[in-house]
Amino acid sequence: MMDKAKGNERKRTFLLITIPILVLFFTFNTLPLIKGFIYSFTNFKGYGSYEWVGLRNYIDLFQDARVGRSYLFTFKFAVVCTIIVNVVSLILALGLNSKIKAKSALRGIYFIPNVLGGLVVGYIFSFIFTYILPTIGQTLGIEALSGSMLASTKTAWFAIVIVAAWQSIAMNTIIYISGLQTVPEDVYEAGSIDGATGWTKFKSLTFPLIIPFFTINMVLCMKNFLMAFDQIMALTKGGPAQSTESISYLIYQNGMSGGQFGFQSANAVLFFIVIVAISVFQLSFMNKKEEQL
Amino acid sequence: MMKKKSQGVGGTNWPITILLIIGCVTIFFPLYMAVIIAFKQPSEMTNDIAGALAFPSKWSFSNFTQAMEVTDFWNSVGNSLLITILTVVIAILIHSLAGYAIGRNMGNSKFYKFSYLYIVSGMFVPFAILMMPLVKQTSQMGIGNRAGVIILYVVFYMPMNVLLYSGYLKNIPLALEEAAKVDGASTWKTYWSIIFPIMKPMHATVAVLTALGTWNDVMTPLVIMSGTGKNTLPLAQLNFQTQFGTNYNLAFASYLLALIPILIFYLVCQKQILNGVVNGAVK
Amino acid sequence: MKRKAWIAVGLGAVLLGAGVTLTGCGDSSTDNGKIQIEMVQYKQEAVKAFEQMEEKFNATHDDIELTIESPNDAMTILKTRFIKEDQPDIIGIGGDINYSNFLDSEMLMDISDFDGLEDVKQSYKDILENLEFVPTEGTYAVPYVANAAGILYNKDMFEENGWEIPTTWDEFLTLLDTIQASGQQPLYFGFKDSWTCLAPWNAMACDLADADVCQQVNRGEATFSEAYREVAEKIIQLLPYAQDDPVAYSYNDACTAFARGESAMYCIGSYAVPQILSVNPDMNIDSFVFPAHDEADGQILNSGVDLLFAVMEDCENKEAAYEVLRFMMEDETIQIYLDDQNAIPCKEGEFTLPSQLDGMTEYIEADKMVDYQDHHYPSEMAVDAMIQTYLMDGDTDAFLEKFDTEWQRYNRDLIRKVQQYEEEHGEGGNES
Repeated sequence: MMDKAKGNERKRTFLLITIPILVLFFTFNTLPLIKGFIYSFTNFKGYGSYEWVGLRNYIDLFQDARVGRSYLFTFKFAVVCTIIVNVVSLILALGLNSKIKAKSALRGIYFIPNVLGGLVVGYIFSFIFTYILPTIGQTLGIEALSGSMLASTKTAWFAIVIVAAWQSIAMNTIIYISGLQTVPEDVYEAGSIDGATGWTKFKSLTFPLIIPFFTINMVLCMKNFLMAFDQIMALTKGGPAQSTESISYLIYQNGMSGGQFGFQSANAVLFFIVIVAISVFQLSFMNKKEEQL
Repeated sequence: MMKKKSQGVGGTNWPITILLIIGCVTIFFPLYMAVIIAFKQPSEMTNDIAGALAFPSKWSFSNFTQAMEVTDFWNSVGNSLLITILTVVIAILIHSLAGYAIGRNMGNSKFYKFSYLYIVSGMFVPFAILMMPLVKQTSQMGIGNRAGVIILYVVFYMPMNVLLYSGYLKNIPLALEEAAKVDGASTWKTYWSIIFPIMKPMHATVAVLTALGTWNDVMTPLVIMSGTGKNTLPLAQLNFQTQFGTNYNLAFASYLLALIPILIFYLVCQKQILNGVVNGAVK
Repeated sequence: MKRKAWIAVGLGAVLLGAGVTLTGCGDSSTDNGKIQIEMVQYKQEAVKAFEQMEEKFNATHDDIELTIESPNDAMTILKTRFIKEDQPDIIGIGGDINYSNFLDSEMLMDISDFDGLEDVKQSYKDILENLEFVPTEGTYAVPYVANAAGILYNKDMFEENGWEIPTTWDEFLTLLDTIQASGQQPLYFGFKDSWTCLAPWNAMACDLADADVCQQVNRGEATFSEAYREVAEKIIQLLPYAQDDPVAYSYNDACTAFARGESAMYCIGSYAVPQILSVNPDMNIDSFVFPAHDEADGQILNSGVDLLFAVMEDCENKEAAYEVLRFMMEDETIQIYLDDQNAIPCKEGEFTLPSQLDGMTEYIEADKMVDYQDHHYPSEMAVDAMIQTYLMDGDTDAFLEKFDTEWQRYNRDLIRKVQQYEEEHGEGGNES
């Protein structure tokens, strides 16, 4: 029952809202993206004059051992962290969703790490890894703990996993809890008549119902961990022996202070493509899975 | 078993309760360490377990007052608050509008469908690729400062928030607006008087997610505000690392000071924060 | 009907307005009619000395207002500001690859006509000259202070135990064994901060490799595999004499440990002395030149320009900037720095040198000095991390091979430039 004038007024309002927002978004998201793409074809240091070098930066990317290592590290870190975080938080969520005392207090406590800043948490853990854990290890005579985890190329990456997981488990647990709450009681009742208990009950009844939440958590985790920066800045600064340089850290470090503005722009473009590819793959894979069930 | 919610057989699951309580140690241990180190004096730092875990001999606030001075605490807090609050307010106003305009039209208009996909796909753009061009661009535009950081946050959180708002809008029947329209109200007015208030639960979610992200972010202020002499709270910790030197007690006092505001906020608004996070993730 | 449009405009204005007002408080201090000179200097540990200088300058000058900033991680901040095209007027940086890069990018002003240059010791001007990728007309920086690297030692521990200062590599190894046999820790490293790996590396490379080895490689006349083999083989022999797990501890940790007498020696530069003294003000520290060479007279002191001042090309008030430099070069001002920072002045004249450098004075006076090798390494190549990796895995051949291949890649543009210059100017263009 809208007359024409009203319809036009409505359309105009929507346009008046949308266009400035698109302009804003373009200026601070798409425009720098394009500029970054353009810089990736130069040997720009960030200051002074520069030349066009064509595809050289991209060819170099695939020959640069340091870049290769940072990708390997980032993926190893992201995959391991995603698995650990999801397993632990699912278990925690099951626990926090069962019939326990002080339920809301416990939930509140387990969420604390998520509100704390990654950098400061990193500094605190850095101290624990360097001074407290080795002391404990030496006193108890545990060989593996007696040196600082951050000092060895074999363990430093795992120290970062611990800190990153410590923070993200909080978030994922809450999401799983809200997922578990959507599981209707009668599903369980039907299940217990069939004699389903424990693991079988979880596998065949609970888990299929919370798959959407599992999807969200996987995607969120993967994306966040691939962009890890704060923890690395606080814990290792990429060391020892460059073994914990994440892609973001390398781009920041060499792009901003190392004089590789152009080269790291190429790296950033590649990183962008990788992130998009992974996200698209994850989402379509999970969607298929969901439909199958 | 008088509780309304306790269903089925059996009461409290004590083994799990106890396990979960023990598990809290993993949460509190690092915080406990931070607290006791912040109160100790350098001379109390020993190399054995008992000494490392023990309470400080005296609960003195001298480390804290010194840390506040070194890191210019109040200014950093002020900057962090200013940036976070302005970002959240602007985000709620602008993103809800965008979500409304796009959400109401994406079903029947290619332009809006495209706008939606365009903005939401921004979620996949890592900050790392934008960082270097943005440093140049913001400074050329004269906003290589706190204002620039706020604008950038508003843009960075736009994809997620537009997704949230337009999703939420699907639950709000069009009929509500049409009723107002019959009364002669303009679309703009209808939005502020009817739709905006209805979206209140989503505002809370957006506020919580945006605030947590901006308050703790290091990288954006690090590259955009460098050289202005202004710090946010996390940035101050990074910038004063060398001034702490090996005085870990001073450093930890400063870390603790950086954690306290958000912890207090969390304690006060715990329920809203948890709900907000859940809403955001589930939508 | 028009209201909504106004509100839309209003919303935009809020955004912009926030921008303008916030920008406003940042840089609105020019209204007192004074010329503003901004200096950014990279030695954060010297912040107290610079505050004192700033205060003194502003108290004696009515027409110029000097602001000195000493940020943490100053090189990153400085480069970020260059990216932002927001240069300060004067920069205080080290005589290293960054200086070469800024100069090569034509960002620094030619200050040949600055009168204060006459008083600067020639050897330091030469060191800066050597940092130019290709010879450049003019002078672009005032060397301010130099530092020296080698071994710092705990004088009291040495006297109590009767240990002698070593003059050759063999004597040094014997000393290390003696100290270790006495149940004490000879060395302490802070390799968690990878740049500290460069301290022993540079000090040893001075004795064992040619001073211009990097230029030789750029001209295609040498390889690092040959030039650095001895350095690489010798540096790794130090590890058994240091604490366990040197990569676990930072520079700060190492300074603290040395200050507390946990090790007899510390292989680092003179720049570490203030930090060590801040932990233990009564400590008796002296130094000696790193004896990496097999012959006693083969040892050369590792010394470079620790701080220089350069005026940026687009500085608008050259005269005011010179006035600041003139003030910085006054004897009293230099003494403020020396008292605080334990450095070697680049200016001729009578200054009180810090006693911690006693063991190195004869080399300084005899001009037996060579610049730090790493001042020629491009920072993005991260040689410090390469050395750290090598010290952890101990694979000499792989390390040296990587050094050569990485060098070629990171210096590609530079090597092309050098060779082009050679072609244009004939052989020996870079002799100095």
